Amino acid sequence: MDAILFNIFNGILYGMLLFMLSSGLTLIFGMMGVLNFAHASFFMLGAYFAYQISEFVGFYPALIIAPLLIAVIGAYVEKYGLRRVHKFGHVAELLFTFGLFYIIEEIVQMIWGKVPVGYHIPLSMDFSLFKIMGMSYPAYQMFTLAVSIGIFVGLFFVLAKTRAGLIIKAALTHPEIVSSLGHNVPRVFMVVFGLGCGLAGLAGVLAGNTLGTDPSMALFLGPIVFVVIVVGGLGSLKGALVASLLIGLMQTFAISLDYSLNNILEFLGFSVDLESLWRILIDITISQIAPILPYLLLVVMLIARPRGLFGTRDV
Amino acid sequence: MLTKFIKIILISFTIFNFTISAKSSDTIKIALIEPMSGPLAAIGLDLIEGMEFFAERINKSGGVLGGRHIEIIPFDNQMVAEKTIQQLRKVIDQDIRYVSQGVGSNHALNIIKTLKKHNKRNPGKEVMFLNHSAVTTAFTNELCDFYHFRFDANVDMKVAGLITKMASDPDVKKVYLINQNYAYGQSFQAAAQRLLPERAPHIEIVGDELIVPFGKILDFTPYIAKFTASGADTILTGNWGPDAARMITAGANAQLKVKYYSIYAGIPNAMNAMGSKISTFTPILQITESNENDPNHPEWLQEIEAEYTAFSNKSPYADRQRWMLDMFAAALEIAGTDDPTAVGFALEGMKSRGANGEVYMRAKDHQMHFDMVISHISENVEKTFVYNGENYGMGYKTDGWVNKEEITLPSTCEMKRPKNS
Repeated sequence: MDAILFNIFNGILYGMLLFMLSSGLTLIFGMMGVLNFAHASFFMLGAYFAYQISEFVGFYPALIIAPLLIAVIGAYVEKYGLRRVHKFGHVAELLFTFGLFYIIEEIVQMIWGKVPVGYHIPLSMDFSLFKIMGMSYPAYQMFTLAVSIGIFVGLFFVLAKTRAGLIIKAALTHPEIVSSLGHNVPRVFMVVFGLGCGLAGLAGVLAGNTLGTDPSMALFLGPIVFVVIVVGGLGSLKGALVASLLIGLMQTFAISLDYSLNNILEFLGFSVDLESLWRILIDITISQIAPILPYLLLVVMLIARPRGLFGTRDV
Repeated sequence: MLTKFIKIILISFTIFNFTISAKSSDTIKIALIEPMSGPLAAIGLDLIEGMEFFAERINKSGGVLGGRHIEIIPFDNQMVAEKTIQQLRKVIDQDIRYVSQGVGSNHALNIIKTLKKHNKRNPGKEVMFLNHSAVTTAFTNELCDFYHFRFDANVDMKVAGLITKMASDPDVKKVYLINQNYAYGQSFQAAAQRLLPERAPHIEIVGDELIVPFGKILDFTPYIAKFTASGADTILTGNWGPDAARMITAGANAQLKVKYYSIYAGIPNAMNAMGSKISTFTPILQITESNENDPNHPEWLQEIEAEYTAFSNKSPYADRQRWMLDMFAAALEIAGTDDPTAVGFALEGMKSRGANGEVYMRAKDHQMHFDMVISHISENVEKTFVYNGENYGMGYKTDGWVNKEEITLPSTCEMKRPKNS
């Protein structure tokens, strides 16, 4: 029982990290229909900015300044880039963000080099808060958890309860009417894109020091974010939260399951004596394929329910 | 008018390129196929720089075969296996007779296989593979070839070295094996499973894992949980890159008190990424051919390393590149020709100097043998690691040496040798 609670706790921690990474992307897609390939790149920029700023003034100012900077950059990207490409359709927008991904990667390499940078947890939070089953949990991890919960609560509140959120939601489905009511629809889009990028940047600030900050992080972290938002449903914040937690729990539990198909067969009384390829397949333990499980889930979801758990539009 | 102008420019470019690649037969060329772009670009570029430095040293002191220079020609494989083969074909087409590589054993395997076929079908035009870092044991066992020389210790030798040290380490009683699930990691695991009962029978293996490699695992906490539950006091791992850095970071955050015995977990990139607190929280040990902070580090080597640091703005790390090029140059002189077959015979059994004594190339399987040093990351060292002008504030502190005799392992190699003309 202890072990199960422990795994649940770890799974939730990991899931909230994933949510933090993907909340911005689902917001942008849900609000604007733009699948931002460069989302992970803004995440990477957030980590690098936080590293650079914390070298000068420390972590806490970086926590505030870096996401704001990224949000501003995102807003400018939307205003001067995406907006012009918008009239050419979704594919053009996709290609634009794709190109942006490469450009950001190159710029990062030119400024900070190709090797990982030493972005570390701030010393003020680098102590053990409590212990479960002999393992310490650093205060910083709890801080990250608190911030990601805060992000969800904050976003949900803004979108569902405030007037601004109402305008944003309306501007997506009925831009002409909202515009004729006197609201500046392009500005709404710019703000939303900026906000989404800012969220990615914030995730970068918080996670860059534990996951490692190097130029290839956008490339490696991109795919799992897409899994989360597709499984959760494109455009649904609630879906992104549920999907992140689901994937987090699934992966965490999987790692502790050292059982393979072979074990199950043996348990059932069959002793299999196969050679070569089949042997490899039935010898694979669940823990060995744990990181692949989210992608399996993605495939299953796309087959069974393409709009994801809470999605409002098809992929 | 404009299109005509563009056409003229394009055509002249093409002609220009053709004339550039006309061979200058004065230099002895070594093609170096490594990642020059992508996530591992830094490692590839550093190795290329190292090779160029050591080649330049030889050129400055008179070159080989009557003043000819050794030229390193880098080729980018972008860490894609097919690209390595493409570049190798370019190398062969350009009549370059020596190729070197080391980052990624799967690429080395492609090179070995391609060259085996090429050398068989093109007698007199053989190409030699100077392997500086691809450590898969099979390359000097089942897959051994006359035209392949390996200048680094293989996985089995490195694991043997680590385990020999573990056997005499009083802190090591229960070890947890964790490795990446691909050729290299599986090779490490197999070597550890074989050599632990042989060399350290008192050590208990309390866990044995294979993980999905190359950064797919973001959260290592469940693994740390497993380590804690097993009661392990030592982690023996071949992990490198984010798989090592994230694992060690998670361990340090969870205040897990274990010793890490590894090959690549403490490389300079990782050291910097993890930071000094995590890198020195518990000992992270690694096995290499040289340590600039070793109390008995020879003067002559320190001088060369100082030159290297002046040239590259980095601390020295891969000493094997030095003896690879020195031995190559010496072999050319002995052979009296740049023909790979003659050079190959000259390299067999050749000796050179290492940081702790003589090093030699075993003739039977073309596997280099040398003493190896086990060291851990520490802030209390005389020479901290410098990279591109940035001082990491940490370096390696020697824990002990393993003699080459202790890591000399039998080989299953049965090499077909060409006729020695």
